[in-house]
Amino acid sequence: MGPVELLHMSVFSQSFSPCGRFLAAGNNYGEIAVFSLSAALSPDASEASQKPILNFTAHDGPVFSLLSTDTHLLSAGNGEISAWSWAELIKKSTKAAWSRKPSYETSLEIPEINAMIINPKDNSLIVGGGDNNIHIMDMETGTFKSVLKGHTDYIHCLCFKEREGEILSGGEDGAVRIWDSRTNRPVHCIEVFKYEECARPQFGKWISCLATDSDWMLCGGGPSLSLWHLRSMSPTSVFPLPGCQREAVFYQDLIMSVGEGPHVSHCLHGGTVKAQIPCTPSSLNTLALNLKNTEHRVMTVGGSSHQIDVFTNFSYRAFSLSF
Amino acid sequence: MSSDAVKKRKPKVIRNEAVTPEPKRGRAEGDQLSAVSSHVKFRKVRLRQVQVSYPAGPHLIGQRKLFTAKNQVPDVHVYNEEVELEGRDPQQDYMLYKDTCAALAKLMAEIQELKSGGAKSAEIEERRRQCSVHFITLKKLNRLAHMRLKKGRDQTHEAKQRVDVLHLQLQNLLYEVMHLQKEIGKCLEFKSQHEEIELVSEGEFFQDAPAEISRPHVTRDDQHQLTLARLDWELEQRKRLAEQYKMSLTRKEKIQKAIEQKREYLSSLQPGLQNIMQASVPVQEYLSMPFEQMQKQAEVARHLPPPLYVLMVQTGAYGQACDKNLSVSISGDVDEAKALSRPPEDSQDDESDSDAEEEQQNTKRRRATVGVQLDDKRKEMLRRHPLSLCVDLKCKDGSVLHLFFYYLMNLNILTVKTKVSTTTDLSGAVSAGELLNTESLLNCLYASDHGKETPNPANRYQFDKVGITTFGDYVSDLGHPYVWVQKLGGLQFSSDGAQSELAGSALSASHMERTMKLLRGRLQARLALHKQFSSLEHSIIPVSSECQHLFPAKVVSSLTRWTMMSHQEFTELGFVQHVLTAGLAHETDLFFMAVVERGTARLLAAVVVNPRYPEVTPLFSLSLHWKGERSGRTDDNLRAMESEVNVFRSELQGPRPGLQLLTNQIQRLCVCLDVYLETESQVCDGSEGPKEFPREKMCLRTARGPSRLKPFKYNHPQGFFSHR
Repeated sequence: MGPVELLHMSVFSQSFSPCGRFLAAGNNYGEIAVFSLSAALSPDASEASQKPILNFTAHDGPVFSLLSTDTHLLSAGNGEISAWSWAELIKKSTKAAWSRKPSYETSLEIPEINAMIINPKDNSLIVGGGDNNIHIMDMETGTFKSVLKGHTDYIHCLCFKEREGEILSGGEDGAVRIWDSRTNRPVHCIEVFKYEECARPQFGKWISCLATDSDWMLCGGGPSLSLWHLRSMSPTSVFPLPGCQREAVFYQDLIMSVGEGPHVSHCLHGGTVKAQIPCTPSSLNTLALNLKNTEHRVMTVGGSSHQIDVFTNFSYRAFSLSF
Repeated sequence: MSSDAVKKRKPKVIRNEAVTPEPKRGRAEGDQLSAVSSHVKFRKVRLRQVQVSYPAGPHLIGQRKLFTAKNQVPDVHVYNEEVELEGRDPQQDYMLYKDTCAALAKLMAEIQELKSGGAKSAEIEERRRQCSVHFITLKKLNRLAHMRLKKGRDQTHEAKQRVDVLHLQLQNLLYEVMHLQKEIGKCLEFKSQHEEIELVSEGEFFQDAPAEISRPHVTRDDQHQLTLARLDWELEQRKRLAEQYKMSLTRKEKIQKAIEQKREYLSSLQPGLQNIMQASVPVQEYLSMPFEQMQKQAEVARHLPPPLYVLMVQTGAYGQACDKNLSVSISGDVDEAKALSRPPEDSQDDESDSDAEEEQQNTKRRRATVGVQLDDKRKEMLRRHPLSLCVDLKCKDGSVLHLFFYYLMNLNILTVKTKVSTTTDLSGAVSAGELLNTESLLNCLYASDHGKETPNPANRYQFDKVGITTFGDYVSDLGHPYVWVQKLGGLQFSSDGAQSELAGSALSASHMERTMKLLRGRLQARLALHKQFSSLEHSIIPVSSECQHLFPAKVVSSLTRWTMMSHQEFTELGFVQHVLTAGLAHETDLFFMAVVERGTARLLAAVVVNPRYPEVTPLFSLSLHWKGERSGRTDDNLRAMESEVNVFRSELQGPRPGLQLLTNQIQRLCVCLDVYLETESQVCDGSEGPKEFPREKMCLRTARGPSRLKPFKYNHPQGFFSHR
């Protein structure tokens, strides 16, 4: 990897290992790098410990989505889902455990996979991407058991409401659709760009981030990042963030959001931006919180840079991991 | 009367004793005795008378002896006292003398007595007569003693004479003995010449020599004969060899004569050949086979300093073996070089030391001249060898890269200057000025070889002495001391860590091929760029037919400006900061600004062209002025465009060695801008009214992935755009 390639690298996805001691990150060249958080966070960390312990090419195209199950790391890029055993990865073996491809209708271009989530209720993998459809794969058998059709453009993001067993999906068409995972039928469809308080026609209508917490939903993208009350299906607060947001999460009483612009935004539920923490990449694609392991409780963000910023205290950048 | 007698006798005795004091006494007594006896015989008659009254005894014996002596020589009636002497016994004479003396003393005493007694004179007379007889006897005895003495003397003398003769004889004999011994010694020391002759060993001798020379029956036992035989054999052999030698000599003479003849013949050929050579020169030139020139060059090359010589030989060798379009020539003052190589090099250190001393002395008085002195010393230190090497690299299109190699004698480094001559006129492009700049043409031929600092670590100390801060101040004068130049000249400096252990020609040879290829590649790249720049300046992007498939047929965006920038100007641009922080822009690079326009959209592209282009891909940084300013930092799609242009060099470089890389990159930039603008209006729902950029490009999807990238990848045969 030459300096020019590093200069044009983007990090699209991240995932912490089940033990919380490792971080996997995927970039636009189809590479996955595994970093050791325990080494990078240890008091005697050096420059070398901020480099990946393992770096391998997983896919032909960019790695848009990474997801960790209890044992495996799932990665998805150009239409294909691959699984890598964490145990093997830690031993630096880079042989895929398995690879699956949803059945696509188009043949001219392979649709990308932008989002993956696990439905823990029936242990299935929910995949959304370039073909506008949501594919559900049974993790036991590895077969794709159903397809949810409804979006008119590609799907950016997915979210799962555990209590109700509902799947939320946001897409390029500007709609947030809510599906019942048991019946695989659409429940609701919110066209966010039609709500004046959050619409931003100068950007567009796509929804690129979704997050839920009990009755609450966060969504943003072309329209402003907004907090919705799902039972009333109305936006309760709109956050005045200038750029398009790509990832937002609930964290305790805060909402953290990343997107265009070199900073992580801390927002309060009331609709105010509490802080914007500067970071290295000029725009951010992904934000991940490592909550599984109290010892390595960090937030990492990646974007249009080969560096992944690590926040130990969420109010300032501690250091950067580097591809 | 008695006292008188004593008085009379005394002087006699004293006189006798004075002659021979000790032995005289006995002899005198003996003489006296014999004299007495002879006296007795002479006056026989008278004695007879006397004898009657005198007591006998010894007297009688004496008489008898006298008679016998007389009887023995009866015929010779000559009185011979000497004969009588022989017959007498000295002992008896002595006794007689004693008796006589005693008788005399007695008579004297009687006379005394008579005289005192007043006796008669007759008695006294009687007594006196007796005394006289006694005196006669004494006289005789005295005579005899004298004779005896004389005789004794004679005998002694005779004996002495004999002893002398014998002694002389002895001396002679001794001398003879000595002489003989010397002779023997000489003989023993004698070295025969034959000992120096190296003879064949005995075994070989017996084996080789014929029987009549070796005579084994004799020589087996007799060492002498053996030696002789061996010498004979040696002589025989030597004679034979001498004969051979003579024959060889004659043969040699003959051959020499033949050689002489042939030489004459050859020298008679020379003018003819020269004529032919003269005549062949145009042919040689026509066929480009410069034999003669090479000869002359070899002559001059002997005066080259070693590094240049290595360079010349290796370059020549490489040119002969692999590269026909490479030519080497030597230029400079040969005579000066000759003069330089003759005297032993006086070391720089001494000179500068003495200079330093001088300087110290002078500083107090003439501070103003110190600067001049330092200047002189600097000049001396930076002096280059009078001879230089000119290597001409010809390219297929007829352009030539002239490389002038110089050797700085005191710094022990090689420097190079360049010149490019082309067949076509290159004055067209303004922005191309730097491309063939002799200063920077060969920069970074190998990565980070800037040729500004001297590669010889020892020079640092030399510079300190004369106050040169950096060699970089002199490169425009002296040429660039690139590391590859040193290597081509076989110079190896240990400053850059562990290296191969090659040195001299081997080092040069190991770098020759690669360097020559790089040089040629560099020239070709620069010429290609030059050509491309002149069309870029006319807003034409030259895309060769080989690369046509990389781009769609219709490209609406067009290049409107192509200008050169300085490093300073580049660093002041806002949208290139990421390149600067990544350390991808160096002062040695070339910087350009390209402007691509379509409608109201204006795309600025700052381009960094590494000197090692096309090996190192030019780096584009973009800034789009359209509905506000966006750059690669703020717009993911522009960033994607940058990466499309910068990263995928393998698609864009075209036919090897990738000389169309830059123009293809610019062309792709135009295509990407088309896609960007056309899809942007599609995505943006907010804009009202007719679209400025109608969608002409066929895209499967206008956005993809989380960052909603546009489809910048062109698929050739189908002609649609897709995502990476």
